[in-house]
Amino acid sequence: MSEIQYDENKLHYAFYSGCCFQGADARFYDILTQVFAKVDVELHLFDEAVCCGAGVIEERSELTSLAINARNMAGAEKMGLPFYTPCSTCFNVISNVQKRLKESSKLFDQVNEILAEEGVEYKGECKITHTLWMLAQDVGLEKLRERITNPLNGLRVASYYGCHTRNPRDIQEYESSDNPTSLEDILKVLGVDIVDYDTRNDCCGYHLTWPNNDISLKMTGSVVEGAQRQDVDLMVTSCPLCFKSLDGVQSKAVAKMGKDFQLPVLFLPELVGLACGMTPKDMQLEWHNVPVNVRL
Amino acid sequence: MSEKIMPESEKITPIREKILANIRVQRYTPGKDKSPYFDNFKMEVETGMTILEVLRHIKNTQDSSLTFRAFCRSAICGSCAVKVNSDSVLACSTQLMPILKDFGKGSVTITPMSNMPIIRDLVVDIDPVIEKLAKMHPYLVENRERVPKALEQESLMSQKELEKFNVMTDCILCAACYSACSSVKTDSNYAGPLTIVKAYRYSADPRDNFSSMRIQAAMDQGLWSCVQCRKCIKVCPKDIRPADSIRNMRQISIEVGIHDTPGSRRARAYTDDVENFGQVNKPMLPVIVNGTKGWAAIEAAEAGLKKHGMEPTRQVCTLPGQKVTAKIYAKVREIEAKEKNQGENKV
Repeated sequence: MSEIQYDENKLHYAFYSGCCFQGADARFYDILTQVFAKVDVELHLFDEAVCCGAGVIEERSELTSLAINARNMAGAEKMGLPFYTPCSTCFNVISNVQKRLKESSKLFDQVNEILAEEGVEYKGECKITHTLWMLAQDVGLEKLRERITNPLNGLRVASYYGCHTRNPRDIQEYESSDNPTSLEDILKVLGVDIVDYDTRNDCCGYHLTWPNNDISLKMTGSVVEGAQRQDVDLMVTSCPLCFKSLDGVQSKAVAKMGKDFQLPVLFLPELVGLACGMTPKDMQLEWHNVPVNVRL
Repeated sequence: MSEKIMPESEKITPIREKILANIRVQRYTPGKDKSPYFDNFKMEVETGMTILEVLRHIKNTQDSSLTFRAFCRSAICGSCAVKVNSDSVLACSTQLMPILKDFGKGSVTITPMSNMPIIRDLVVDIDPVIEKLAKMHPYLVENRERVPKALEQESLMSQKELEKFNVMTDCILCAACYSACSSVKTDSNYAGPLTIVKAYRYSADPRDNFSSMRIQAAMDQGLWSCVQCRKCIKVCPKDIRPADSIRNMRQISIEVGIHDTPGSRRARAYTDDVENFGQVNKPMLPVIVNGTKGWAAIEAAEAGLKKHGMEPTRQVCTLPGQKVTAKIYAKVREIEAKEKNQGENKV
């Protein structure tokens, strides 16, 4: 356990930021810390963290991916805190590494042999979580409800998990993978009406942005169009990479389909922040590519 | 999942529950019906009942025209795959009661698999998938070095060599992965997970000497079109993990070095950048992956940042773990080189 004393009245997490919460995307980091403060959650950045490789490194060397992500998890173990990442792909890759190392004592020993080079040990004890379960289970819906000062009643919302907190089935043990409800549970507390749409389980295509942009844009366009057909006010996603696709390249994707519409997309913490009384300016909604013209 | 601890006497015969459920089944006869429609069948579902038993019960007692395909009832012939509440499953090895409980609606929707033409009701035409598979050279082409000298000898391989592809030989061609595939849905030319699994299975076999042709075939049929949504891993009834085979096939294609594609350049960039910076050089990724064509994307991104008063940078944004990666990478290389030598020397 770490010797740092944490405030007992708050929930504490080792915060693995991944690539979505720094550099040009640093605003997301500010948003998360502000929104989580509203529900008594404090995030602690790792002293040392390495990019999870997004599964792409496994296209060259699986052992490299296992080693760097065991190193990442060892960082949370050292801090004695649960490992929290807001990125669904980081969650998927790192949880998969945890699972692989649990299943194979040979790989576990091999990875520790690698980490021993710099005096680090991976014990395999850390709990990995994501915004969905941090809010729905750790903070709890009751506490979240108490902190809502600006209920978003009547807002028609299409909820979108994306793939990497759901597939494969055993990537998480927090809820059913076939019928997850955490995102909708959170959204209902904010007051919104959840609208079903037929592309909600489809992939947004983000991870094909570079290898095959054509398919990637078609996937993005199809998901957004499915929601748009149901006359929703906005889409909300729990994945920052899905957000980058659904908001970032939406206009291009829609144009590619020969259509002409726009649908605002929010990253889940942004909508939670707005419901907790923060302003669109606090949430820096002006950064969105698709203007968020709903009066929130 | 937490399992309730049962008294010894109840373990053998579990408590049998009964639920009156509504089974929504998609019906469609091409040429006769204008479009697919749903029939609703009410029936009592018992603990332990499989989807196939439910379909047979409906066919035997309610509507003999209901059409589905099934044969072995043992999850080995691969003919009974259907979609239940939008996920592809083998009807014969999937129980309905846990699904009814998970969705808590007392109702379930059964549809034919996606991405393949419907022949009738729940029966789809798998031929287009088999045609794509045939183009992957799904057979061994002898590696002369591994052919034993005497006729009565077998071509032996080490346990380590076998482990590379052993699980993939369990594939029963049920096409559940093909039905679930996000990329096939978007681009019908893409080969789909099961065909690349087979291509990998033969390419990883030490008795084979045809992997470069197979890589070319996989490339031509969209090796880099897989989005790694991991849905195929979720639905595979044999736990073959098709998306992992696709990654392995990509790895072989990069190692063999006969292909230079945006996908392989991305893989090289991620691996090398994490070693050098602890992070991917995101600002420059468009040019790294797409060459000079990528500058337009970089300029657009930079204009976006400037609009919000942020000064763009072309420098990689390093994570604080940058200094730890060098030792990890060096050790990984050492281990991988050692294993490669052992694999080559030991048969």
